Amino acid sequence: MRIPFDRLILLALPLALGACGDQQIAAYRIPKEKEPELAPAAAHAHGNSGTTPPAAGENAAPGMGSGMAGTAVATASGPGLTWVAPAHWQSKAGSAMRKGSYAIPGDGGVMADLAITAFPGDVGGEVANVNRWRGQIQLPPLPEAAVAAAVTRLEHNGLRMGVVDLVSTGANPTRVLGAWIPHEGSTWFVKLTGPDGLVAKEKPAFLEFLQTIKPAAQP
Amino acid sequence: MNESLRSLRDFFVSLKLTVALLVFGMLLIFAATLDQVNLGIWAVQEKYFRSFIVYGRFGEFAVPMFPGGYVIGGLLLINLVAAHIYRFAFTWRKLGIQLAHMGLILLLLGELFTGLLQEDFQMRIGRGETVNYAESFRDNELVLIDVTDPEFDEVVAIPTGLLEKGKPIQHPKLPFRVVPKLYYPNSILQMRPQDGPPSPATAGIGPQLMAAPQPITYRENERNVPTAFVELVGSGGSLGTYLVSTGLIRAQPFEHAGRQWKIALRVRRLYQPFSLTLNELRHDVYPGTEIPKNFSSRVQLKTADGREDREVLIFMNNPLRFGGQTFYQYQMDRSSGFTVLQVVRNPSWLVPYIACTLMTLGLLVQFGFHLIAFVGRRRAPAAAAPVSIPAAR
Repeated sequence: MRIPFDRLILLALPLALGACGDQQIAAYRIPKEKEPELAPAAAHAHGNSGTTPPAAGENAAPGMGSGMAGTAVATASGPGLTWVAPAHWQSKAGSAMRKGSYAIPGDGGVMADLAITAFPGDVGGEVANVNRWRGQIQLPPLPEAAVAAAVTRLEHNGLRMGVVDLVSTGANPTRVLGAWIPHEGSTWFVKLTGPDGLVAKEKPAFLEFLQTIKPAAQP
Repeated sequence: MNESLRSLRDFFVSLKLTVALLVFGMLLIFAATLDQVNLGIWAVQEKYFRSFIVYGRFGEFAVPMFPGGYVIGGLLLINLVAAHIYRFAFTWRKLGIQLAHMGLILLLLGELFTGLLQEDFQMRIGRGETVNYAESFRDNELVLIDVTDPEFDEVVAIPTGLLEKGKPIQHPKLPFRVVPKLYYPNSILQMRPQDGPPSPATAGIGPQLMAAPQPITYRENERNVPTAFVELVGSGGSLGTYLVSTGLIRAQPFEHAGRQWKIALRVRRLYQPFSLTLNELRHDVYPGTEIPKNFSSRVQLKTADGREDREVLIFMNNPLRFGGQTFYQYQMDRSSGFTVLQVVRNPSWLVPYIACTLMTLGLLVQFGFHLIAFVGRRRAPAAAAPVSIPAAR
C-alpha cells in the first residue's frame, strides 16, 4: 500500500509536537525570604501519651538534630499512630526524624534509648531492615530464611508487627529490640537500644508498649 | 486542484474519518479508564488525553502505542471544520445547525486551550502569615539561589525534567555548571549507617544521608519525594556533589567566588506580583453536629505597587479572581491554623460557557424552525379540508 508523503508528514507531526514540553529554566529576583520553621518533634508535648502530628507533607516533618546542619528530612506522611508509654520511660527531646523518643533509666546510671520513626514505603524490606539493625551492633547480615526465622509476628489493634531481638557479642553486649509496623503505605519503626541487661529487663514493658500502639483515628 | 491537495481534502472531510476518530476516542477512553486503577486520575489525563501520542514502556524504551487525546481531538476538530466549510452552505434555515456546530468546534478548542494553558497551583498560608507564591501540585524544581544581597535573592530554577535528562546545564546567571549525576523521581531518605556504602554526594548534608529509590506514586493523597545528586563545576573544577531532595526542608548553603549560594530541590513555585495574608479562617459546622457548614478564609490582598490593599473573604463557591487567576478555598486545618487555596490560571475559562450557549441557541433555533414548520403544516390542511357531511340513509 502506498502512503502519500503529505499524509506521512501529517502523521509524524504529533510525534514532533509530543517531544515539546515546559522545560524552561527560569531566573528571577525575589525579596529576601525567611527560612522555613522546623516543627518540634512530636509526642513530647503530651507527656507519656504520645500522639503523632497530623501529617501534612513536607512542612510536618520533625526537625533534625544539630548534627544535621539545620537540614530536615521528611518522614512518612499519612495517618499516624498513637501510643501510651510506660510511666517510667522518660519522654525526651527528639532528634532527627523521630516521631517519639524516650530515655529508659537503669541501675547504675545506664540508659536505654527508644526511638519511634516512620518512613514512606517499606524502607527496603524486612531483610534489609533487620540486617541494618544487625550491622549497627556489629553483627553480620543474615540470609532471608534466617531473618524470617528470627522474626516474631504480632498483631495488635489491627496492626501487624514484626519484632526482633538482637544482641551483640563482646564484653559489654548491646541489645536491640526492634519492631516494624506497616501502616497506610508507610513503615513505622520502634527500636529500643541499650545495654543487654537493661533492655532484657525492659522487654516485657516493650511488648506491652507495642500493644498500646494504634492508628490515630481509632478511639 | 492539485491531486495531492484534493486527496488531502477528501481525507479530512470524510465521514469515515469521523467514525474512525470516534472509535479511536472510545478505545482511548476505555484504555484510560482501565489504566486509572494503576495511574490515578491525574496521570491518566496526562498520559492519554493531554498528549499527542500514548507511549508504552518496554524496559528502557518508550514506544508509541496509540494516538493521544490531542491527535484524536485535533483531527476531529479539523474534520468538523473542513466538513463544515466543504459541505454546508449558509442558509437561514440551517442557522441552528451552523450555531450548534460552531459551539461544538469552540468546545473542542476550549478543551485544547485548557489542556495547553491551564495551570493548577496551591497556596498554603498559616494564620497571620504572608505568602507571595503558589506551589505546584506535582512539579518540582532545582533552585540555585544567590543570597549574597541583603535585600534580594537571585533565583535560578531548573525543572526536574532537565535533571532527568542528565545533560550538563549552563545558565548565564550561574557562574558554574550544574551536572546531574543521578535522579530518583521518588525516594526515601535515611541516615547513612557508618558502615554503609559510600555516598555519591561529597558536599553539604548528602554524605550523611542515604537515598533509596521508590516506585512513583500516582495516588492523589501522596506525593513523590524526588532526590537528585548534582555536581556543581566551576571554572576551577568541581565544587562538590550535592544530594538535593524535596524531603530536605532547608536549602544547603555553599560559597563560590566570594558569593553566598543555596541549593535545594523544592516544589515548583509561581511567584506572584501580590501577596496574601491570612487574617482569619473559619470552619463552621451545623449546631450540635460535626457536619461542615462553611469553610472560609479572610485574606488581605496586597500588591507590590500598593494599588490593591483590601480584605477578601474566600469561601466555597466564592473564589477570588485576581491577576488572571482564580483562588478557590481548597483545604483547611483549623487546629494547625492554616488554609490551602487552589490557584487556577486558565485564560480560556470562558470558552466552554460560550460554546454551550452557542450550542443551546443553535438547537433552540433548529428545533424552533422545525416546530414552526410543523405547526404551519398542521394548520394548513385543517383550514383547507372540506367539511364532509355523511349522507343520511
